[in-house]
Amino acid sequence: MKDYFKYFDKFTFVLLLLLAVISIFLIYSAGYSSHETHYLKQAVWLLVSLLVFFIVFALKIDFIFRNAFAVYLALIVILVLQIVLGGTVARTKSWFRLWGIGFQFSEFVKIPLALYLAKILTQFEVIDWKAFVKLMVVIVAPVALIILQPDMGVSFILCSFVPLVILLKKIKPAVLVISLLLVVFSGIIGWYSVLRPYQRDRIISFLNPSEYKTSTGYHIIQSKIAIGSGGLGGKGYLKGSQSQYRFLPARHTDFIISTIGEEFGFINTSLLFFVFFIFFYRQFKFNFKNDEEFYFIYLFNGLILFQFIINVTMAIGFFPVLGISLPFVSYGGSSLLSLFIGEAIVFRIKINTYLT
Amino acid sequence: MYLSKRKISTAFVKRAAIVSTVFLVIIFFFIFAAFWSIQIFYNEKYTQLAIRNITRYIELPAPRGMIVDRFGRVLAENKINFTLFLVRENVENLEKAIEKASNFSGKSVVAVRQIIDKYKKHSGFYRIPIKSNLPLETVIFIQSRQDEFPEFEIGMEPSRTYPLAHRAAHVLGHISEITEAELNADKSGIYGFGDLVGRSGIENQGETFLQGVKGSQTVIKNNVERIQRISSEVKPEIGETVVLTLDLRLQEFIENLLGNESGAVGVLDLKTGGVLALVSKPDFNPEIFSREMGREEWQAISNDPQKPLQNKFLQGIYSPGSVFKIIMALAGLQEGIISPNSSVFCTGSQVFYDRVFHCWNPGGHGAVNIFAALQNSCNIYFYNLGKKMDIDTIASYARLMGLGKESGIDLPNEKAGLVPGSAWKMNTFQQRWFPGETISVSIGHGSLNVTPAQMLKLIATVALRGRMPKLHLLQRIEKQGKVVREFAAGFSRVPIDEKNFELIIEGLFRVVNNEGTGRAAKIDGLDICGKTGTSQIIAKENPRYKKLTQEKKFMPHSWFVSFAPMVNPRLAMVVLVEHGGDAGAIAAPLAAQIYKKYFENEGLL
Repeated sequence: MKDYFKYFDKFTFVLLLLLAVISIFLIYSAGYSSHETHYLKQAVWLLVSLLVFFIVFALKIDFIFRNAFAVYLALIVILVLQIVLGGTVARTKSWFRLWGIGFQFSEFVKIPLALYLAKILTQFEVIDWKAFVKLMVVIVAPVALIILQPDMGVSFILCSFVPLVILLKKIKPAVLVISLLLVVFSGIIGWYSVLRPYQRDRIISFLNPSEYKTSTGYHIIQSKIAIGSGGLGGKGYLKGSQSQYRFLPARHTDFIISTIGEEFGFINTSLLFFVFFIFFYRQFKFNFKNDEEFYFIYLFNGLILFQFIINVTMAIGFFPVLGISLPFVSYGGSSLLSLFIGEAIVFRIKINTYLT
Repeated sequence: MYLSKRKISTAFVKRAAIVSTVFLVIIFFFIFAAFWSIQIFYNEKYTQLAIRNITRYIELPAPRGMIVDRFGRVLAENKINFTLFLVRENVENLEKAIEKASNFSGKSVVAVRQIIDKYKKHSGFYRIPIKSNLPLETVIFIQSRQDEFPEFEIGMEPSRTYPLAHRAAHVLGHISEITEAELNADKSGIYGFGDLVGRSGIENQGETFLQGVKGSQTVIKNNVERIQRISSEVKPEIGETVVLTLDLRLQEFIENLLGNESGAVGVLDLKTGGVLALVSKPDFNPEIFSREMGREEWQAISNDPQKPLQNKFLQGIYSPGSVFKIIMALAGLQEGIISPNSSVFCTGSQVFYDRVFHCWNPGGHGAVNIFAALQNSCNIYFYNLGKKMDIDTIASYARLMGLGKESGIDLPNEKAGLVPGSAWKMNTFQQRWFPGETISVSIGHGSLNVTPAQMLKLIATVALRGRMPKLHLLQRIEKQGKVVREFAAGFSRVPIDEKNFELIIEGLFRVVNNEGTGRAAKIDGLDICGKTGTSQIIAKENPRYKKLTQEKKFMPHSWFVSFAPMVNPRLAMVVLVEHGGDAGAIAAPLAAQIYKKYFENEGLL
């Protein structure tokens, strides 16, 4: 027990807590003018997440990897059931109500998926056809189900496992070329058959937001105005006109970075980015006993990094608005809990080499 | 053991660490640079956009200035008008909202739906005006339960009110919303959409004094256009107070006196040329133009044959009848064609240019001089005078006395009337003037057309022995109780000898006080001088004259122009009763009552 505490990466954990606490203050500001109580829910979710974090942290790594596939399958079944049975919140079937609490199961897929992908990667020397097909099937199955819900953001983020897997393992050149062609091809197919017109508009509008001023471009324009008008020092907590007079859409979820930019300014926003930077830097530096652990840490933190990049670049108009939240900061209990579960495994892996 | 042993080389791990670190540095540098660009480099631009998002500039209409009579009695002022607005964006259930709106406004559900449909193309945040002039109880009810009715808003704005309703309606005139065409033509930039402007009467004439100075508000609004707070305000400045020469007591007395008759009365203060009373009947309530007027209501008032909207005092065109004999007599005396000693023998009719012309008295007046001719309004005397004069000479005297052109009173849209002459005849009909026409004109018939305003100016000029007053209603302009402008009395001299005016006045005195045609206007203790006039609608020569004049609309108009007292005159007056019949019996007694009222009020009788 003493060793657990000694080798636990307390510094990185403090960064994590810092982000989660900042989140509550920001969600409070985002809902301040409309008297929303999201911040209270988020605080409760944070307490739950911390509790679960230490439970997961206490589990043996071997046990976790051993059961990953079963959890993965269970989630696939739940996703299928959700689609079949329905249950709609905000036009999507991704929400599930349990004891009055909304669960977004799609958020949890990334943990068993990363674990199982890590396992598969150890089974091959190089990614040949067989390995490629296996990896793709495992990734595409939940992605397809989540697209059907439809939740573009989560499914898009899960797709980032594809490049991560290719970067982590040697791949046969032929497989690489074909897989790239496949990505392009499925992109075109997806564009025309899977995406709905409003989703397509959302994606295109970031290229020329002023043309979509009154519809989908509105988000980007208002977000840029919020960030840009924050200036060096910001307008002050609870004093951002874009946030408080509600010009900023989804200000407690996808555009929470714009609230930060507006109310806290360039200096503090940069400080927040610096916290993220240190967090990622430290999470990518570790020791390990088993190959699965190495792959998992890269897959899981890589996914969070992608999510971070997309969310931030979206807020300044460099990326389409896909409904991707800022990890640890955006409002969302399922998202927060899933991130803490995944990080618990990461933290556990990082101390394993010191424990005998 | 489920997990596999470590096989990944240290070199690969190192490479992975380096690659991920380099990637992190590049990405974070890019994000840092991008935020620097937006937050620092383009800060000014986005700050402006953020300000533009939340601020709205609102023009605050200025309350119009008051209009008061010479004693400060209020004729026109402002009240707060409450308007019920519906904001579609805040509607939860449209059917229920329409029902509520119908209850509040008293309008039918169908009517409310029609109003809402009209604004289909406007944004959901547009305030749709459901009803103006909302009763105060409803305003209080809605405002105290604003949480229950988020879709409704109450707007407040000053609106024009005329506390005495119909009183002096034609003097005050009316206001209405500026039209788009006018707005486009307006170069001053003072007016904006929805502004009210004076359309007629003093409301129009005094527009520059009454309009006031608009204020403005800069407000902070949210994304759904709801106002959060006021950030700065310039209070509007109320328009200046227009003080009229009108004496409301006299005005009221005359309006009641005329009752349901249709016609016009003007009373002039001869010391100043200020109009003490200006009545046109029937009248209207100017406030109807300040509120929504139904189609039926508008058609009823605009198609009324008695023309309630017309100010008959300056827009009514009538033949002057025998009142014109004053001008004939003046011209004759000034030209030396007649003198107090010359006389004509009236037998009741006389032939001129192969046509028989009649006196109104078929028995004839016998030998008449200028005094008797005026006293009894003898046609034969003036036929003979007219025969000796050129039409253009008569016309020039008529113009000298103010006929054929606007009286110049300070009210808009005045009519000029018509003084016929040979050039006019040639231009209009491409015919020469026939001498027989001059005979008709000499008793005020033919093509002559005058307004009551011109007749008032004429009799005032006679009363003042050739000093022609400038008729006016504006006395002074006040701003916060201080006089900022005063309108001076103005007189001009008519080039006719004063002694000739004295002769005419002697005749006019006899009209009232010597059993003349205006004897019904006689009052003990006041020397009233006057002249009757009966303006025929159909010629007396018409064989059906007797039968037709049984009907009111064919009865002649009754004129009575007068002034008092004879020496140092104070008051001049014109009374016109449309289709009143015999002037001596109708118009003259009305004048007597008005004199009595005025001089009693002044303590002079």
